[in-house]
Order: sequence, then structure tokens, then C-alpha cells
Amino acid sequence: MTHSLHREGTLESLEKDYVLFVYPARGFNYKGSAPKVRRLVELLYLAGPVNMCVTTLRRNMYSGVKPEEVLESIKVEGARVFSVFDSREKVKDALIRIKQADEGISIMVSGVTDSVRELSAELGIEPYMINLSLGVHGRTDLLPPPDIREFTTMCGHGVVSPNLVRDVIRRVRAGKVTEWDGSVIIAEPCACGIYNPVRSAELLREKAPLYAVDRW
Amino acid sequence: MMIREELCVGCGRCQPYCPTVAIRYDGLKSIIDQDICYECSTCLRAAHCPVDAICESPNVFDHPRDLRRHFSDPASRHVATGIEGRGTEETKSGDVTRRLPPGKVGIAIEVGRPNLGMSLRDVQKITRAIARAGIHKIEPCNPIHSMLADEATGDLKPELLGERVLSAIIEIEMEKGQIRSILKTLKEVAREVDSVFCIDCFMVVEPGIEIPGDVLEEIRAEGLSWRPNAKINMGLGRAWE
Repeated sequence: MTHSLHREGTLESLEKDYVLFVYPARGFNYKGSAPKVRRLVELLYLAGPVNMCVTTLRRNMYSGVKPEEVLESIKVEGARVFSVFDSREKVKDALIRIKQADEGISIMVSGVTDSVRELSAELGIEPYMINLSLGVHGRTDLLPPPDIREFTTMCGHGVVSPNLVRDVIRRVRAGKVTEWDGSVIIAEPCACGIYNPVRSAELLREKAPLYAVDRW
Repeated sequence: MMIREELCVGCGRCQPYCPTVAIRYDGLKSIIDQDICYECSTCLRAAHCPVDAICESPNVFDHPRDLRRHFSDPASRHVATGIEGRGTEETKSGDVTRRLPPGKVGIAIEVGRPNLGMSLRDVQKITRAIARAGIHKIEPCNPIHSMLADEATGDLKPELLGERVLSAIIEIEMEKGQIRSILKTLKEVAREVDSVFCIDCFMVVEPGIEIPGDVLEEIRAEGLSWRPNAKINMGLGRAWE
């Protein structure tokens, strides 16, 4: 999850990619957090996330899990929530609802800093900390190319394989899957549910025609 | 992870799912190279093997191989911290825990990210370099801390060095005046490791997400810059326990 600050892409593309975490703190506000987290998940659903996962189930929105099953699962203290929104307006809507609910659980937003700064000012929210990305270092020559990393860095833990992205590009080019279905396939390994399939489908539309892929 | 040879039909469906290209054909069937496998479970969880040939390795929870699972499977609860994930709650609940005081700066080194993973020998190169630079305190809540043999030298326990992890996070805290020296050290060790790492720099902000100018100056002075996107703690949490 830490890696959400390292999502790669153009500014225009990153404007369609806001990650929001709900994070109780062990020893500080774990006790009694379950109903509060459950309420926050209800509010997140109302704001229209494009993906979401709660640690009590570890199933993303495209796994077939129903909202009522997700909510029902939040019975243990300390459940954490990972979600992603495809527009500044939607994440703003989520923050308005969260601020009004005032449940006291930590909220993180990963996104374009200037935009988060603007919407915080609009909503009267005073952010507390920032985590800046100072880039990738070391054997960068071993990395997949930047256009593939725009997909893979949407999964912070690195379990979205560059070869899966290439495989889906090949299948999109061959007309075997749509850009959306291909994005849902790529999203599945991401166990935190912060892979953004809407942005991914746009990237596939943009990049698939540029590839000539025989296998992967 | 393993593929049961007697069940595998050789369709190759699982192969592109592996983040480390550990799955390949051996003759007509897919096999998983046990040296390369990170035990991240992605193939088992997401590849939907049509004949259920993918299974856990029998030694996945034997120490030290269990480190592969704890550091590489996002759904695995780490034995050292009791939480899922490779790091700590760091900035995520900083508004509640106040673990990092105003005026100090945290640096997190996300080893193996993005995409590549890293040998623990390479992790040790980084922990040693940090120790040589004068930082002898790696965040004690972080699982890397439990792997140290000697905090003064940055040496990891020797029995762990043969393992590989998909990602791990080394977290350190410092005064603002130490940032430049640590960044210089990290740039130097970047030339020694056989993988990649990302650098995070986190701190308490002033109103309006105003980043302390002296911190930015230290980063610039070392020839580094920061991405336009960041992770921001919105300051909406509070403690009640």
C-alpha cells in the first residue's frame, strides 16, 4: 500500500486515479473501530469507487462479492479499507461524506498533490502528513518499460506481472477480450484492491494498438 | 508454490501471472522454479488453473523460507508485526499515533519495488550502508528490524541471506539536517544492488499541505526531485484508547 505514491503515468492520467485508505491504528483507535469502519465503507460505496477491498474479505469489487457481504464481514476490530476513485469529483464526494461522519479513523489519499491540496482547502480539511516519492533507484535497466509500469505500479505490492499486462494487450489486440474485461483480469492479482480498472481500460485503448506482441 | 506434474495439462495459463517469471515449461508441462519463486501465491489466487494443479510448497512455512511468503504475499500477516504488509502503519495513521514528531523526517526504502523483488543479500547492502552513514536505528515495528543481527553494522542474520522477497520496506527516522547525507548514501548503494528500490520521504506538513522548505532544499541539493503525486494523511483520525 505504501507504494501508491509511486504510481506512474502522465498527470492527465493520474488525475483519474485517487487511492483512499481507511486505517485504524493499533493501540490508539482499534477498539470499537469495527462499526465505524463499516459505516465508512457504506459511505465509500455511495461515492462510487472503481475498486475497493476490505481486509476482512480480501476480495476486490470484481470478484463477485456483494456490498452486503463486504459490510457483513466487518466485525473484527482493526479492519482496513483500500479503495480507488477515477476522478477528483468522486474522491471529493467521498471525503465530504467521511468528514461529515467524523468517525475518527485515519484517512489517506494518494493522488496528485496539487489537486489534493485544492480539494482539502475546498472542504476545510487540514492534512497532517505527506509521503513524497523520490523515485526509483538501482538497476532501473532491469525494469519493464514505462508504459507497462503505468499498469503494474497500480498494484503497490508488485503482484501484477508485466507479462500479464503484455498477455492482456495481446488478447485485446487479437479481439479476444475487451479493454474493460482485460483490465478486470489484470486487477485480479492485486490483493489490496487498489488497481484502477477504469484507468487501466483507458491505457489499454491507448497503448494496445502500438504493440505487436506474438506471445506476452 | 508448486505445480503437481500429474495434474498439469500444460496449457501455460499460469505463466504470465508470475511476477518473477518463475513458471516456465519443462517439456510439455509448467513447473515453478523453487529458487526464484517468492511464494506470493499470485498463481494460486488469480491464475484459475483449470485442473487445480497449483498448490502450496510443503516447505513454505519452514524458516527461513517463510520470509518469502510474509514479505511477498500481500494477504499474509507478518509474524514479526502482526499486520499484513511489509512495513508498518507509518504515515497511514500518523495523525493518530504521532509516531513521527514535527521537525523530524522519515525515509522509507521500498526494496524490490517496482516489479523486480530483491535478494536479502541486497537488502543487507542497504542496511549496512545506512549504518555506515550513522543511522543505527531501523524502525522497531518494521519486520526488517527483526531480521537484523547487529543494528550497529546493519548486518542481517546470516541464515536469512539466501532468501528473496518481492518487496520489503526499510524505515528510518532522522533530523532534517541528516537527509542529504542519507540520500547520498542511498544513491551510492544503488550502484551496488542487483535490483531496484524506491525512496519515500515523509514528514508532518504545515497548513495547506505546505512541505517544509528546508526538506525540499535538502532533496534538491542531492540532485533528486519528487513525483507530482504523493500519499497524504488527511488528518481526520483521533485516538480514544
